This record gives sequence, structure tokens and C-alpha cells, in this order.
Amino acid sequence: MRRRLRIILLTLAACAGAGAVGGAAVVGLGLYNVSASAGHLPGVSWLLHSAFRASVRLRAPAAEEVPDLSDPARAALGAGHYATACAPCHGGPDAAAMATVRHMVPEPPPVAAAVAQWQPRHLHWIVENGVKMTGMPAWPAEERGDEVWAVVAWAEALKRGEAPPLPQTAQGTAPGAGPEARAGYCLACHGAPGGGVPRLDIQEPAVLAAAMRDYRSGTRQSGIMAQAMSFVPPEQDAALAGLLAGTGPERLPRPAPPPEGAGALATRGTRDVPACTACHGPDAEGDRPGRFPALAGQDATFLATELRLWRDGVRKGSPLMRAAARRLTEAQITALAAWYAAREPAAE
Amino acid sequence: MTALACAALPWLAGCAGRQSALAPAGEDAAALHTLFIVMLAGAVVLFVLMNGLFFYLTRINPVALPLRHARLLMAVGGILFPTIVVGTLLVWGLSLLPDQRRPGDGLRLHVTGEQWWWRVEYQPADGGPPVVSPNEIRLPAGQRAELALTSSHVIHSLWIPALGGKMDMFPGRETVMSLRPTEPGSYRGQCAEFCGASHAWMAFEAVVMEPAAFEAWLAAEARDARAPATPEARRGADIFAREGCGACHAVRGTDAQGSLGPDLTHVGSRQSLGAGRLGTGLEDFATWIAHVDALKPEVEMPAYDHLSEPERRALAAYLKGLE
Repeated sequence: MRRRLRIILLTLAACAGAGAVGGAAVVGLGLYNVSASAGHLPGVSWLLHSAFRASVRLRAPAAEEVPDLSDPARAALGAGHYATACAPCHGGPDAAAMATVRHMVPEPPPVAAAVAQWQPRHLHWIVENGVKMTGMPAWPAEERGDEVWAVVAWAEALKRGEAPPLPQTAQGTAPGAGPEARAGYCLACHGAPGGGVPRLDIQEPAVLAAAMRDYRSGTRQSGIMAQAMSFVPPEQDAALAGLLAGTGPERLPRPAPPPEGAGALATRGTRDVPACTACHGPDAEGDRPGRFPALAGQDATFLATELRLWRDGVRKGSPLMRAAARRLTEAQITALAAWYAAREPAAE
Repeated sequence: MTALACAALPWLAGCAGRQSALAPAGEDAAALHTLFIVMLAGAVVLFVLMNGLFFYLTRINPVALPLRHARLLMAVGGILFPTIVVGTLLVWGLSLLPDQRRPGDGLRLHVTGEQWWWRVEYQPADGGPPVVSPNEIRLPAGQRAELALTSSHVIHSLWIPALGGKMDMFPGRETVMSLRPTEPGSYRGQCAEFCGASHAWMAFEAVVMEPAAFEAWLAAEARDARAPATPEARRGADIFAREGCGACHAVRGTDAQGSLGPDLTHVGSRQSLGAGRLGTGLEDFATWIAHVDALKPEVEMPAYDHLSEPERRALAAYLKGLE
């Protein structure tokens, strides 16, 4: 009995030893061929792809968590982000990706084919998390899964054949472009505010420059703005801020009337909520340039999103604003956003 | 060591007269004080008697008692006597309870426990508009005032040991107590229910005034804030507006209308700053503004440590001038 056990253990040990030596040889001597042109061994592609699909299905958010994706403004924001962040690999609706990209392993699927096989919640998970060992990166900002829905909204519009065209960004994103060309790139989205895209003309240049700095450094979390800021060299911030602060948008969303009591909430606050107007003014305040952002006339969706980020501690740049938003309820956020959106910005 | 500590006790109590139930300055505290003294004296007598008896039976005369005497001792000393003593004390103690909520003579205060300060509104007897003046409770001597208590977030307890018993404050519920102070003076109140990180710093001044002086004070308190008088105070008022202080604090008669934090309309005439945390010198105001988070851990107010020294001083001058 003991003899037999001894034989079994020795055999197992010998196999393990041989396996370790073989493995070390494959890794250390470079026996495994990592060439993309050689492709995977038979069956490995199928194995990896099956694991990928099952993993996405397991981890995607629940169907109830999918917001309304029909807002054209949201899809337009998604198009703006897609144009520079996704199109290089997945191509556009009418354009294939670059030839070099098509020789990646696995090859990034053309966008129409990529989105056709997934539901919105699955697309959200893939875009937010990325996929290991495929070249698909994760969303460049943590805790900003809310932004990802813009890209999903564009993908859904694409499925329906209603996708807004991708903006032309080549000039503004070119390495040597001047501030005017860069401003053109910014206005591809900010020229038509709405759906979470803020208008910039109501701000002091200092506020815009600070925002650019914070988005670039990641102090202010946003995957979309982090991507956009990667085209703007820091030395152009001041000039760009001046141009953007002076350029009115082509069109503005029509604000919804604010609910009753929103004005009192904004100007007087409650025992849990400070009065917004004490810092931000009822209109844009002219006498404290750069200190507090102007809110009057701003896009309501953008205001509500930022208030949620402050409340949840995702946005943390200002201790004052963090303290102010700590106890906001969802209804108060909606009311305050609608109230400021419906106000006339201060005259220049 | 124990004897030394015991000998020191009376002196300890003596130095805390402003916040001591042993130095009553009101009818309600006096009733509790009498109850306490009687119980203490009774307890001392009982303690001496019991130990004397024990000593006598074990050391001086250690012989077995006749069974009849032993039974009598157990029945009278073990059952009858304690029942009478405890029963009497219970009836007396319970009879004092309603007194703590006796209806007042007209003045009514609404006190709300906040994190960590006291929102106080005076409802005058003539039915005028309530007068807001936080972090201090002022009462006229010789009159019974009602205090309607509630709380905004967690349970607090209001206690002015020199004036009366304590009463808990609950979110979403109103409790009532009444106080009839007799001795004009300045006493210290304290939150008596653990309420978070700065519970120990949640105190206040309880000021008992002659009725005429109280009426004059209340009338002054009802007025709007006085305008800043010096150039430095005016600069402070500008900083107050620029920094958005009015988002949380009201200064009546100005644009500042916030109601999250204490009303500052007459903060300059209060006897303490930050709910009993600091004095009211210019230096105290400046320190408070810049380091509130260190003075009161987890406080809702952000520290304004980005202000320069001259800015802080100007702000302090403005606030100190709000008398």
C-alpha cells in the first residue's frame, strides 16, 4: 500500500517537473510564436471569443439601468467622441478602418458589425471596461460610466440608420494646429450644446482654462473631455479659452420650465442645501471673474450631471461645492438644473 | 489615594459652577438639587447604619440572634423598610416629572439640534414674528419659558445643569420642557446625548437676564443687521458676499439669506463662537473662519483657509461688528 502511494507520488512529481521544464523552455527560449500574422493555434480563437462573449453577458448592467437613449443630442455627443477615440480602429459608418489596424489580432470589427450583435447594456460594458488582449481600451475616466451611454446612444442610432454624421476633426486635432483650428474642433460638440454638452460662451476664460487643466490632469473625471484634451497642448489653453468664451453657440436647446419652488431653492437654499446664487449669482456674475462658473442659461442635463458628480464625490476640486452638494436629493438636482437652464445669461 | 480623590471632589464640583447641577440657578434645577441632596444624605445615613450593624454583629457582639429577632430583622429591615424608602422616593421623583413640562408664562423657544450647533427661535408672548438667534439661549429671570425641542438629523439632548434637567431632541418629533430660572447670570449648556464627532464641542451659553433687559435684548435681536462701520469691516462685508457665505448664513437686511448654518445677524453680540467653542475676540473669528474643521471635526462648514491673513481680519471685523 505504502509502496504504491510512493510510486504514484513520484510519478506525479516527475510529470510536474517535466511540465515545468517544458513550460520554462517555451517561455524562456521563445518557442511560442507571438506573431500576429501567424494567428492563433486552431481552436484558440474560438475559445477566447466564447470566453469574451460569456464574460460580457455575465457582467453587463441590468436592463433597468439603461437610460433613455433616444435623445439626438446624446447621440451627437457620442458621435463627437467616436470620431476621434473609436473611429481609428472601428472605422466610420461609411469608412473602413486603416489598413494597418485591420491587421491587428483580433481584428477590430467594423462598427456596424460590432454593434449589431449586442444590446445597449452589453455595449456599455464593453466600452466602459475594454477587453483584455484585444487592443480594446477601457474608458479613460473612472466612475464616469454615465458618459459611456452617449457612445451607446450613437451606436443604437446607427443600428436604426439614424446616426448623426461623425464631425470632421482632422484639422483641429492635427499636431501643428493653431488655437483657431482647435476651437473649431471643440465647437464640433460645444457649438450645439445640449444632452450634457455645456455651452462655453457664458464662462469667463479663466473658468474654461481651469476646466481644461483639470480635465487634462484627471482632477476632473471625464473620458470624453480627457480624450478631447489630449489634442490640446497646455500652452494653447489660454488662447483657446479666450476664443471659446467669445464664441456663441450656433443653436441652443429650448429649456424646459423649472418646477415650482426651484427659484426659492436656488436663491434661499434649505436647512440642508446652501443657496446656489450666493456664489453663482442669479445670472452670470460679472464682478468675480473666474471665481465661480456662470450657470444661467447652461444646459440642464450638463448641470444635473455635474451636481450628481459633486454629490457622489466623483468631482472633488472644490471643498465648497462638495459640501454644498452633499445632501442634494434627485428632485432638487433636477429642479436646480432646470431653473438655471431657463435663466437668461448676463449680458456681456 | 481613593480618600484623596474623594476629598478633592467637592472642590472639583465647586469650580464648575457655570455648568453644575449642584449650583442651581432656577426653580427646576433647585427641585432636582433638593431631590439629589435628600437621596445623598439618606444614602449616607443608610450606608453608615448598615455597616455599623454589620460591624456590631460580626466583631463587637458575634453571637447568634434568637430566631424570632432574626426573622423580625429580615422582615422589617429587608422588606418593609426598603419598600417604604424606595416607594417614597419613587412617588416624590415621579411627582417632579410633570413640573419639568409645566406650561410657561408666554415666552416659547423653538430649539433645533443641528450638527453641531443649536438653532434657536424665540416666539414672543405677544404673537409677533419669531426672533432667530442661534447658539445661545436667553431667558428672563422669574418667568417660566417653554422650550419646544426637535432635531434635524440625529438625536441630541439639551441640558443646562444650572437651570434644570435635560430633555432629548429627536428628528421629526417635538419634545417640550420648561424652565424658570431665578438667578440672572451666564451658565453653560451642553449636548448630553452623543451625536457624532463634535458632540463634545456642542455647547452654548445660557444667559438669564432681568425681564426688562431681556425684552430690550429681544427687541434688538429682532432688528436687521447693522451696516459695517469701518473701512475694514466694509471690506469684510465684500469678502463675505464674494465668498458666498450667504449661501448658508443669513445676515438679515443683506443679500445673505441661507438657512443651513447659524444666523449671523447679531453674531458680534454673542458670548461665544461656534456653539461654545471659542471666545468672541477678533482673533477668535479669524481662527474660526480658517480652521473650523480642526476646531469642530466633521463640521459641515468648509474651512476658508485660502483667505489671506488681511482678508480674514477684515471678515472678522465685519462679523464682530454685527452686534
